[in-house]
Amino acid sequence: MPVPDLFKQGLTKGWKTYDGSRLENDLTLEADVAIVGSGAGGGTTAEILSAAGYKVLLIEEGPLKTSDDFKMQEAEAYPNLYQEGIGRMSKDGAITILQGRAVGGTTLVNWTSSFRTPPQTLAHWAEAHGVKGHDVASMAPWFEKMEQRLGVAPWAIPPNANNEVIRTGCDKLGYHWAVIPRNVRGCWNLGYCGMGCPTNAKQSMLVTTIPATLDAGGELLYLARADKLLIEGDKVVGIDCLGMDARCVAPTGKRIRVKARHYVLAGGGINTPGLLLRSAVPDPHKRVGRRTYLHLVNFSAAQFEQVINPFYGAPQSLYSDHFQWDDGTTGRLSFKLEVPPLQPALTATLLGEFGRENALRMEQLPHTNVMLALLRDGFHPDCAEGRVELRGDGSPVLDYQMTDYTWDGVRRAFLTMAEIQFAAGAKAVMPMHADAGYVRTWKEAKELIEQLDLALYRTRLGSAHVMGGCAMGEDPQQAVVDSLGRHHQLDNLSIHDGSLFPTSIGANPQLSIYGLTSKLATLLAERLRA
Amino acid sequence: MNDTTLDAPQLSRRSLLKVGLMGTALLGTAGLTATLSGCSASTPAGGYLILRSSDLPFLRALIPVMLDGAVSAEQMPQAIDGTLKSLDSSLAHLSPEMLKLTVQLFDVLALPITRGPLTGVWGSWDNASGDDVRQFLKRWQNSSLSLLRMGHASLLQLVMMAWYSRQEAWAHCGYPGPPTV
Repeated sequence: MPVPDLFKQGLTKGWKTYDGSRLENDLTLEADVAIVGSGAGGGTTAEILSAAGYKVLLIEEGPLKTSDDFKMQEAEAYPNLYQEGIGRMSKDGAITILQGRAVGGTTLVNWTSSFRTPPQTLAHWAEAHGVKGHDVASMAPWFEKMEQRLGVAPWAIPPNANNEVIRTGCDKLGYHWAVIPRNVRGCWNLGYCGMGCPTNAKQSMLVTTIPATLDAGGELLYLARADKLLIEGDKVVGIDCLGMDARCVAPTGKRIRVKARHYVLAGGGINTPGLLLRSAVPDPHKRVGRRTYLHLVNFSAAQFEQVINPFYGAPQSLYSDHFQWDDGTTGRLSFKLEVPPLQPALTATLLGEFGRENALRMEQLPHTNVMLALLRDGFHPDCAEGRVELRGDGSPVLDYQMTDYTWDGVRRAFLTMAEIQFAAGAKAVMPMHADAGYVRTWKEAKELIEQLDLALYRTRLGSAHVMGGCAMGEDPQQAVVDSLGRHHQLDNLSIHDGSLFPTSIGANPQLSIYGLTSKLATLLAERLRA
Repeated sequence: MNDTTLDAPQLSRRSLLKVGLMGTALLGTAGLTATLSGCSASTPAGGYLILRSSDLPFLRALIPVMLDGAVSAEQMPQAIDGTLKSLDSSLAHLSPEMLKLTVQLFDVLALPITRGPLTGVWGSWDNASGDDVRQFLKRWQNSSLSLLRMGHASLLQLVMMAWYSRQEAWAHCGYPGPPTV
């Protein structure tokens, strides 16, 4: 039964879009509000502003891909839908960074986990980072609104066996676990959320806020990189954009000049600070790009007697927060536990080694579970911190320097994951580290993990949650924008994306971005009217 | 864990420093030599978008070592070709900066002046045995130069990802492929 391609249908209704790769001439576009980035922050902002009657232009660097294009093939999805053709890494090449880059941004390829910002995180921002007005009670209606808008609800179908390991293991050990709320409607439980949803069940920006924006007369420019903000005095007067080739690798030479009354940056962590740095936006206290956090992730693999088939079924449906706040908000580095989906190409790189050893590990894929820990970085002064810099060609890169404090969190996460996997009945467990193989008992695992040389490249590290880099807060010496996302130095510039967060979230960040930016966009619409 | 790094007691800080400086100089040399001599062609080999003919001998030596155990001897020639195709396609989508780093890595591996000292493989890759390749990979994984450790990690990721994104690879790992929608 073919699935209707909602976006293509919309295009035939006359939605106004521009393909930056196919321009024959330079172009000038005007709008009330220009939004750079079409992910969680950009999409949400666009819908709200266009519903309030403003003409919105969404600018997206990546391509426009819609449900007909989503073939559930790693070979096609990763290079086309992820930043830098899935080549994005920390500056030292030791941490793989997954971020979406297509119309819909990361919401197009995330695994749908939707959590409100934890109360501890909101309280910490107010206390330590001068964030005003975003306490639990005042945020609740915004989260609720976006949960309704995007169909967020706890997953009602039984978890796949890969997720089930969390429940079985945590139950045995008396650890907390719970069901993950997901932003889906009529989900087929396929397991390919990371490659673009082929059934339009995932309520990404591609099928929700962007269509609403286009229906309201908004416009979409894609395959166009926002290269520089043009600044006069304390105002932004335009954005210079570069048309990108169809592969989104190189500029075509065609330029698009965008003019608007107000400008909103929503390119996400790394890209938004990158654009500010490239544009030499006033930054008297050198805050741009600082305090970038990753929810650094490490992994533990386990082999089971029974079939797991970890490549099928909703990728994330259970989690454990047992350790998330185990030493308070600002104590030792703590973590949330989840699982990743395991399609073969990504898994082969995760499992490590090559030749026969890797082949043996891959042969067991149908019996393999992998658990991951999202390390809640940014709450302690000794925690690793990322900093965005520009490379020679002006593209941004993240320098993320590990610290002993952070490695300690990595080691404890390895221990906990192995403990849970054995408790769930694993016959062998392997911390994902170059010096580790599968071991058969919890005792052996403990000995192995306690001695592991936790070093870059030997420890497999990743991130799918870049946060911070343009922190919000009332103190201009500490923050790039105020608590409403208004730039501290420039009048008509706002930031509405995950780069606002002064620390990591302690949960998959999409709903934190939706909730916060829906509030910021609503208040922006009121200010624009004044 | 067994410590196989260069950080062994008999290696003084001074000699470590020397290895480091020499390595960095050699990496620089590769880039410069490649640019000046045009020794590593900058145009793609026939049938490829990115891969140059100078990259192929190394990759043809590397890939069978990487896929050993997952691919039978009879299937290996097609598997090498397929992996090269997939690898080429992913390189064609990389950002220019990431591609530049990868091309530099391939240059270091292809040019005799850097290949010998940095990989321990003194003859051409065409004549390198599987053991030579494994030895080189081990050396890079445990190198004191972070650039070589990074190179090692990149090679593993590039090749394993390229192969396992292909349908021919899936029978080995029990993956039936995506469902029909």
